[in-house]
Amino acid sequence: MLMPKRVKYRKAHRGRRKGKASRGNQINFGEYGLQALESSWVTSRQIEAARRAVVRYVRRGGKLWIRVFPDKPVTKKPAETRMGSGKGSVDHWVAVVKPGRILLEIAGVREESAREAMRLASHKLPMKTQFIAKADSLFGSR
Amino acid sequence: MEEIELRAQKREIMGKQVKQLRGQGLVPAILYGHRTEPLPLQIEERSLRWVLERVGSHHLITLRVGDDKEPKMTLAREVQLDPITHALLHVDFYEVVMTEKITTEVPLVFIGHSPVAEKREGILVRGLDSVEVECLPTNLIESIEVNLGDLVEIDQAILVGDLTVDADVEILIDKEEVVAQILPLRVEEVVEEVVPSEVEIIPREREEAEGREEEPPEEVEEE
Repeated sequence: MLMPKRVKYRKAHRGRRKGKASRGNQINFGEYGLQALESSWVTSRQIEAARRAVVRYVRRGGKLWIRVFPDKPVTKKPAETRMGSGKGSVDHWVAVVKPGRILLEIAGVREESAREAMRLASHKLPMKTQFIAKADSLFGSR
Repeated sequence: MEEIELRAQKREIMGKQVKQLRGQGLVPAILYGHRTEPLPLQIEERSLRWVLERVGSHHLITLRVGDDKEPKMTLAREVQLDPITHALLHVDFYEVVMTEKITTEVPLVFIGHSPVAEKREGILVRGLDSVEVECLPTNLIESIEVNLGDLVEIDQAILVGDLTVDADVEILIDKEEVVAQILPLRVEEVVEEVVPSEVEIIPREREEAEGREEEPPEEVEEE
Protein backbone atom coordinates (compact mmCIF):
# COMPACT_ATOMS: atom_id res chain seq x y z
CA MET A 1 0.00 0.00 0.00
CA LEU A 2 1.07 3.54 -0.69
CA MET A 3 2.55 5.62 2.14
CA PRO A 4 5.41 8.09 2.45
CA LYS A 5 8.89 6.79 3.25
CA ARG A 6 9.87 9.82 5.33
CA VAL A 7 7.82 12.69 6.71
CA LYS A 8 8.69 16.00 8.34
CA TYR A 9 5.97 15.79 11.00
CA ARG A 10 4.46 12.60 12.43
CA LYS A 11 0.89 13.90 12.83
CA ALA A 12 -1.11 16.47 10.88
CA HIS A 13 -4.17 18.65 11.37
CA ARG A 14 -7.35 17.64 9.59
CA GLY A 15 -7.44 20.74 7.37
CA ARG A 16 -10.32 21.83 5.14
CA ARG A 17 -11.42 20.76 1.68
CA LYS A 18 -12.85 23.90 0.12
CA GLY A 19 -13.00 24.60 -3.59
CA LYS A 20 -12.03 22.61 -6.65
CA ALA A 21 -8.75 20.95 -7.59
CA SER A 22 -6.58 23.55 -9.28
CA ARG A 23 -3.80 21.07 -10.05
CA GLY A 24 -3.95 17.52 -11.34
CA ASN A 25 -7.29 18.19 -13.04
CA GLN A 26 -6.21 17.33 -16.61
CA ILE A 27 -5.32 14.00 -18.20
CA ASN A 28 -1.56 14.25 -18.65
CA PHE A 29 -0.24 10.71 -19.10
CA GLY A 30 -2.88 8.31 -20.41
CA GLU A 31 -5.83 8.46 -22.81
CA TYR A 32 -8.67 7.95 -20.34
CA GLY A 33 -9.09 8.94 -16.73
CA LEU A 34 -11.30 8.85 -13.67
CA GLN A 35 -12.15 12.27 -12.26
CA ALA A 36 -13.45 12.99 -8.76
CA LEU A 37 -16.68 15.00 -8.58
CA GLU A 38 -16.73 15.42 -4.80
CA SER A 39 -14.14 16.14 -2.18
CA SER A 40 -13.01 13.31 0.06
CA TRP A 41 -10.13 11.64 1.85
CA VAL A 42 -9.03 8.56 -0.08
CA THR A 43 -7.20 6.01 2.02
CA SER A 44 -4.25 3.99 0.78
CA ARG A 45 -6.40 0.86 1.03
CA GLN A 46 -9.04 2.36 -1.27
CA ILE A 47 -6.38 3.40 -3.80
CA GLU A 48 -4.90 -0.10 -3.73
CA ALA A 49 -8.36 -1.68 -4.15
CA ALA A 50 -9.10 0.59 -7.13
CA ARG A 51 -5.70 -0.23 -8.67
CA ARG A 52 -6.31 -3.96 -8.27
CA ALA A 53 -9.79 -3.67 -9.79
CA VAL A 54 -8.35 -1.99 -12.90
CA VAL A 55 -5.33 -4.30 -13.25
CA ARG A 56 -7.49 -7.45 -12.87
CA TYR A 57 -9.92 -6.23 -15.50
CA VAL A 58 -7.44 -5.14 -18.16
CA ARG A 59 -5.15 -8.10 -17.31
CA ARG A 60 -2.05 -7.85 -19.51
CA GLY A 61 -2.92 -4.84 -21.63
CA GLY A 62 -2.81 -1.20 -20.74
CA LYS A 63 -0.72 1.07 -18.60
CA LEU A 64 -2.09 2.61 -15.44
CA TRP A 65 -1.12 5.80 -13.63
CA ILE A 66 -2.24 6.60 -10.09
CA ARG A 67 -2.44 10.38 -9.84
CA VAL A 68 -3.02 10.68 -6.08
CA PHE A 69 -0.71 9.81 -3.23
CA PRO A 70 -1.75 9.31 0.41
CA ASP A 71 0.63 11.64 2.23
CA LYS A 72 -1.61 12.78 5.07
CA PRO A 73 -1.50 10.79 8.34
CA VAL A 74 -4.79 10.09 10.12
CA THR A 75 -4.60 9.31 13.82
CA LYS A 76 -6.90 7.22 15.97
CA LYS A 77 -7.18 6.59 19.67
CA PRO A 78 -7.33 2.94 20.80
CA ALA A 79 -10.76 1.45 21.55
CA GLU A 80 -12.25 1.99 25.01
CA THR A 81 -9.82 4.75 25.90
CA ARG A 82 -10.85 7.76 27.96
CA MET A 83 -10.64 11.15 26.32
CA GLY A 84 -7.50 13.19 26.83
CA SER A 85 -3.87 12.13 27.07
CA GLY A 86 -3.04 13.73 23.76
CA LYS A 87 -3.55 12.87 20.13
CA GLY A 88 -3.79 9.21 19.16
CA SER A 89 -1.28 7.29 17.08
CA VAL A 90 -1.16 7.23 13.27
CA ASP A 91 -3.71 4.72 12.01
CA HIS A 92 -3.64 5.12 8.23
CA TRP A 93 -2.72 7.46 5.39
CA VAL A 94 -5.04 9.41 3.10
CA ALA A 95 -4.87 11.52 -0.04
CA VAL A 96 -6.91 14.73 0.10
CA VAL A 97 -9.04 14.88 -3.05
CA LYS A 98 -11.05 17.87 -4.26
CA PRO A 99 -13.62 17.92 -7.10
CA GLY A 100 -11.96 17.85 -10.50
CA ARG A 101 -8.93 15.83 -9.45
CA ILE A 102 -7.87 13.04 -11.81
CA LEU A 103 -7.48 9.90 -9.71
CA LEU A 104 -6.44 7.28 -12.25
CA GLU A 105 -5.29 7.36 -15.86
CA ILE A 106 -5.05 4.50 -18.32
CA ALA A 107 -3.59 4.05 -21.81
CA GLY A 108 -3.18 1.27 -24.34
CA VAL A 109 -6.72 -0.14 -24.06
CA ARG A 110 -9.95 0.41 -25.99
CA GLU A 111 -12.43 2.95 -24.70
CA GLU A 112 -14.99 0.29 -23.68
CA SER A 113 -12.37 -1.56 -21.62
CA ALA A 114 -11.13 1.66 -20.04
CA ARG A 115 -14.70 2.68 -19.21
CA GLU A 116 -15.49 -0.66 -17.57
CA ALA A 117 -12.17 -0.72 -15.68
CA MET A 118 -12.83 2.78 -14.33
CA ARG A 119 -16.38 1.81 -13.40
CA LEU A 120 -15.05 -1.08 -11.33
CA ALA A 121 -12.43 1.19 -9.75
CA SER A 122 -15.03 3.85 -8.93
CA HIS A 123 -16.88 1.34 -6.73
CA LYS A 124 -13.79 1.14 -4.53
CA LEU A 125 -13.59 4.89 -4.02
CA PRO A 126 -15.50 7.02 -1.51
CA MET A 127 -16.77 9.76 -3.84
CA LYS A 128 -18.76 10.31 -7.02
CA THR A 129 -16.56 10.12 -10.09
CA GLN A 130 -16.81 10.53 -13.84
CA PHE A 131 -15.01 8.86 -16.72
CA ILE A 132 -13.25 11.26 -19.04
CA ALA A 133 -11.33 10.82 -22.27
CA LYS A 134 -8.49 13.05 -23.37
CA ALA A 135 -9.91 13.24 -26.89
CA ASP A 136 -13.18 14.72 -25.56
CA SER A 137 -11.53 17.78 -24.05
CA LEU A 138 -11.69 20.94 -26.12
CA PHE A 139 -8.11 20.72 -27.31
CA GLY A 140 -7.23 17.14 -26.52
CA SER A 141 -3.81 17.87 -25.08
CA ARG A 142 -4.91 20.62 -22.73
CA MET B 1 -5.53 27.21 -44.49
CA GLU B 2 -9.25 27.79 -44.14
CA GLU B 3 -10.31 31.19 -42.83
CA ILE B 4 -12.26 31.11 -39.60
CA GLU B 5 -14.12 34.24 -38.53
CA LEU B 6 -15.34 35.12 -35.06
CA ARG B 7 -17.33 38.13 -33.89
CA ALA B 8 -16.67 39.82 -30.55
CA GLN B 9 -17.82 42.91 -28.65
CA LYS B 10 -15.85 45.23 -26.46
CA ARG B 11 -16.36 44.41 -22.78
CA GLU B 12 -17.21 47.00 -20.13
CA ILE B 13 -17.71 44.57 -17.24
CA MET B 14 -14.49 43.68 -15.45
CA GLY B 15 -13.32 41.64 -12.47
CA LYS B 16 -15.62 39.33 -10.56
CA GLN B 17 -18.70 40.81 -12.26
CA VAL B 18 -17.86 38.82 -15.42
CA LYS B 19 -19.82 36.03 -13.75
CA GLN B 20 -22.95 37.88 -14.93
CA LEU B 21 -21.73 37.63 -18.52
CA ARG B 22 -21.31 33.87 -18.25
CA GLY B 23 -24.89 33.66 -17.04
CA GLN B 24 -26.00 35.42 -20.23
CA GLY B 25 -24.17 32.94 -22.49
CA LEU B 26 -21.18 35.20 -23.08
CA VAL B 27 -17.55 34.36 -22.43
CA PRO B 28 -15.08 37.03 -21.24
CA ALA B 29 -11.96 37.24 -23.36
CA ILE B 30 -9.00 39.52 -23.92
CA LEU B 31 -7.05 40.52 -27.00
CA TYR B 32 -3.40 41.44 -26.77
CA GLY B 33 -0.28 41.23 -28.87
CA HIS B 34 3.21 42.47 -29.50
CA ARG B 35 2.00 45.80 -30.90
CA THR B 36 -1.55 45.75 -29.51
CA GLU B 37 -2.92 47.36 -26.38
CA PRO B 38 -4.89 44.85 -24.27
CA LEU B 39 -8.59 44.98 -25.17
CA PRO B 40 -11.21 43.20 -23.01
CA LEU B 41 -13.83 41.40 -25.10
CA GLN B 42 -16.98 39.34 -24.72
CA ILE B 43 -17.94 36.60 -27.16
CA GLU B 44 -21.04 34.47 -27.60
CA GLU B 45 -20.27 31.08 -26.06
CA ARG B 46 -21.81 28.90 -28.77
CA SER B 47 -19.89 30.45 -31.63
CA LEU B 48 -16.67 30.55 -29.61
CA ARG B 49 -16.94 26.88 -28.66
CA TRP B 50 -17.70 25.93 -32.25
CA VAL B 51 -14.59 27.77 -33.44
CA LEU B 52 -12.30 26.39 -30.73
CA GLU B 53 -13.50 22.81 -31.21
CA ARG B 54 -12.81 23.16 -34.91
CA VAL B 55 -9.44 24.88 -34.95
CA GLY B 56 -8.03 24.84 -31.42
CA SER B 57 -5.09 27.05 -30.60
CA HIS B 58 -2.94 26.40 -33.68
CA HIS B 59 -5.05 28.06 -36.40
CA LEU B 60 -5.39 31.74 -37.21
CA ILE B 61 -8.78 33.15 -36.24
CA THR B 62 -10.06 36.33 -37.91
CA LEU B 63 -11.52 38.34 -35.06
CA ARG B 64 -13.98 41.14 -35.82
CA VAL B 65 -14.42 43.41 -32.82
CA GLY B 66 -17.69 45.41 -32.74
CA ASP B 67 -18.07 47.55 -35.85
CA ASP B 68 -14.35 47.73 -36.61
CA LYS B 69 -13.75 47.33 -40.32
CA GLU B 70 -10.23 46.06 -39.88
CA PRO B 71 -10.27 42.38 -38.80
CA LYS B 72 -7.56 41.12 -36.46
CA MET B 73 -5.58 37.94 -37.11
CA THR B 74 -5.33 36.11 -33.81
CA LEU B 75 -4.49 32.84 -32.11
CA ALA B 76 -6.46 31.49 -29.13
CA ARG B 77 -3.45 31.38 -26.86
CA GLU B 78 -4.94 30.32 -23.54
CA VAL B 79 -8.35 28.79 -22.98
CA GLN B 80 -9.57 28.45 -19.39
CA LEU B 81 -12.11 25.70 -18.82
CA ASP B 82 -13.98 24.56 -15.74
CA PRO B 83 -12.25 21.27 -14.83
CA ILE B 84 -15.51 19.47 -14.06
CA THR B 85 -18.16 20.90 -16.40
CA HIS B 86 -15.67 21.89 -19.14
CA ALA B 87 -17.51 25.20 -19.51
CA LEU B 88 -15.54 28.00 -21.13
CA LEU B 89 -14.40 30.52 -18.52
CA HIS B 90 -12.03 32.85 -20.35
CA VAL B 91 -10.01 33.00 -23.57
CA ASP B 92 -6.83 34.91 -24.40
CA PHE B 93 -6.47 35.99 -28.04
CA TYR B 94 -3.01 36.89 -29.24
CA GLU B 95 -2.88 39.24 -32.22
CA VAL B 96 -0.12 38.14 -34.55
CA VAL B 97 2.06 40.36 -36.70
CA MET B 98 2.19 38.62 -40.07
CA THR B 99 5.89 39.40 -40.51
CA GLU B 100 6.98 38.16 -37.07
CA LYS B 101 7.60 34.56 -36.09
CA ILE B 102 5.22 33.04 -33.56
CA THR B 103 5.38 30.01 -31.32
CA THR B 104 2.36 27.77 -31.00
CA GLU B 105 1.36 24.19 -30.26
CA VAL B 106 0.58 22.00 -33.28
CA PRO B 107 -1.33 18.75 -32.66
CA LEU B 108 0.07 15.38 -33.65
CA VAL B 109 -2.23 13.19 -35.70
CA PHE B 110 -1.59 9.48 -35.24
CA ILE B 111 -2.26 7.45 -38.38
CA GLY B 112 -2.04 3.71 -38.98
CA HIS B 113 -1.80 0.94 -36.42
CA SER B 114 1.21 -0.65 -34.84
CA PRO B 115 1.18 -4.40 -35.66
CA VAL B 116 2.68 -5.21 -32.24
CA ALA B 117 -0.07 -3.34 -30.38
CA GLU B 118 -2.74 -4.84 -32.65
CA LYS B 119 -1.59 -8.36 -31.77
CA ARG B 120 -1.58 -7.32 -28.09
CA GLU B 121 2.09 -8.21 -27.77
CA GLY B 122 2.93 -4.73 -26.46
CA ILE B 123 1.25 -1.56 -25.23
CA LEU B 124 1.23 1.58 -27.33
CA VAL B 125 1.83 4.63 -25.16
CA ARG B 126 1.69 8.12 -26.58
CA GLY B 127 4.06 10.54 -24.94
CA LEU B 128 2.98 13.73 -26.68
CA ASP B 129 -0.18 15.03 -28.29
CA SER B 130 1.22 18.26 -29.60
CA VAL B 131 4.58 19.91 -30.19
CA GLU B 132 5.65 23.51 -29.87
CA VAL B 133 6.73 25.03 -33.17
CA GLU B 134 8.07 28.38 -34.33
CA CYS B 135 7.20 29.80 -37.74
CA LEU B 136 5.70 32.76 -39.54
CA PRO B 137 1.89 32.97 -39.26
CA THR B 138 1.58 32.34 -42.99
CA ASN B 139 3.51 29.05 -42.69
CA LEU B 140 1.44 27.71 -39.81
CA ILE B 141 0.56 24.03 -40.25
CA GLU B 142 -2.69 22.29 -39.24
CA SER B 143 -1.09 19.17 -37.80
CA ILE B 144 1.89 16.82 -37.94
CA GLU B 145 1.29 13.22 -38.96
CA VAL B 146 2.83 10.35 -37.02
CA ASN B 147 2.73 6.92 -38.62
CA LEU B 148 2.22 4.31 -35.93
CA GLY B 149 2.76 1.54 -38.51
CA ASP B 150 6.51 2.17 -38.14
CA LEU B 151 6.43 0.70 -34.65
CA VAL B 152 7.06 -2.99 -35.31
CA GLU B 153 9.14 -4.02 -32.29
CA ILE B 154 8.77 -3.86 -28.53
CA ASP B 155 10.59 -0.88 -26.95
CA GLN B 156 10.73 0.84 -30.34
CA ALA B 157 9.90 4.53 -30.16
CA ILE B 158 9.15 7.47 -32.42
CA LEU B 159 11.06 10.53 -31.23
CA VAL B 160 10.45 14.21 -31.90
CA GLY B 161 13.51 14.16 -34.14
CA ASP B 162 11.77 11.59 -36.40
CA LEU B 163 8.87 13.95 -37.18
CA THR B 164 8.85 15.49 -40.64
CA VAL B 165 7.81 19.13 -40.98
CA ASP B 166 8.28 21.85 -43.60
CA ALA B 167 11.62 23.62 -43.67
CA ASP B 168 9.91 26.90 -42.66
CA VAL B 169 8.64 25.36 -39.43
CA GLU B 170 11.00 24.74 -36.52
CA ILE B 171 10.16 22.31 -33.71
CA LEU B 172 11.20 23.84 -30.40
CA ILE B 173 11.03 20.89 -28.02
CA ASP B 174 13.83 18.40 -27.32
CA LYS B 175 14.49 16.09 -30.30
CA GLU B 176 14.98 13.11 -27.97
CA GLU B 177 11.50 13.34 -26.45
CA VAL B 178 9.30 10.29 -27.06
CA VAL B 179 6.18 10.77 -29.21
CA ALA B 180 4.97 7.17 -29.14
CA GLN B 181 6.47 3.97 -27.85
CA ILE B 182 5.68 0.27 -27.63
CA LEU B 183 6.12 -0.93 -24.06
CA PRO B 184 6.34 -4.62 -23.13
CA LEU B 185 3.32 -6.22 -21.49
CA ARG B 186 3.59 -6.55 -17.75
CA VAL B 187 2.14 -9.40 -15.78
CA GLU B 188 0.31 -8.28 -12.66
CA GLU B 189 2.77 -8.10 -9.81
CA VAL B 190 1.93 -10.08 -6.72
CA VAL B 191 1.98 -7.41 -4.07
CA GLU B 192 2.29 -8.60 -0.54
CA GLU B 193 0.19 -6.91 2.09
CA VAL B 194 2.53 -4.51 3.79
CA VAL B 195 1.85 -3.89 7.44
CA PRO B 196 2.16 -0.12 7.95
CA SER B 197 5.48 0.27 9.69
CA GLU B 198 6.86 3.27 11.50
CA VAL B 199 7.51 6.15 9.12
CA GLU B 200 10.86 7.81 9.47
CA ILE B 201 10.68 11.41 10.68
CA ILE B 202 12.99 13.94 9.10
CA PRO B 203 14.91 15.45 12.04
CA ARG B 204 14.69 19.17 12.76
CA GLU B 205 17.60 21.40 11.80
CA ARG B 206 19.01 21.68 15.33
CA GLU B 207 18.88 17.97 16.01
CA GLU B 208 20.31 17.38 12.57
CA ALA B 209 23.24 19.66 13.35
CA GLU B 210 23.91 17.81 16.60
CA GLY B 211 23.71 14.46 14.93
CA ARG B 212 26.08 15.54 12.17
CA GLU B 213 29.12 15.02 14.36
CA GLU B 214 28.28 11.38 14.93
CA GLU B 215 27.00 10.32 11.54
CA PRO B 216 26.34 12.14 8.25
CA PRO B 217 22.57 12.83 7.80
CA GLU B 218 20.72 11.45 4.81
CA GLU B 219 19.61 13.82 2.10
CA VAL B 220 16.14 15.23 2.63
CA GLU B 221 13.88 13.99 -0.12
CA GLU B 222 11.59 16.45 -1.79
CA GLU B 223 7.97 15.47 -1.58
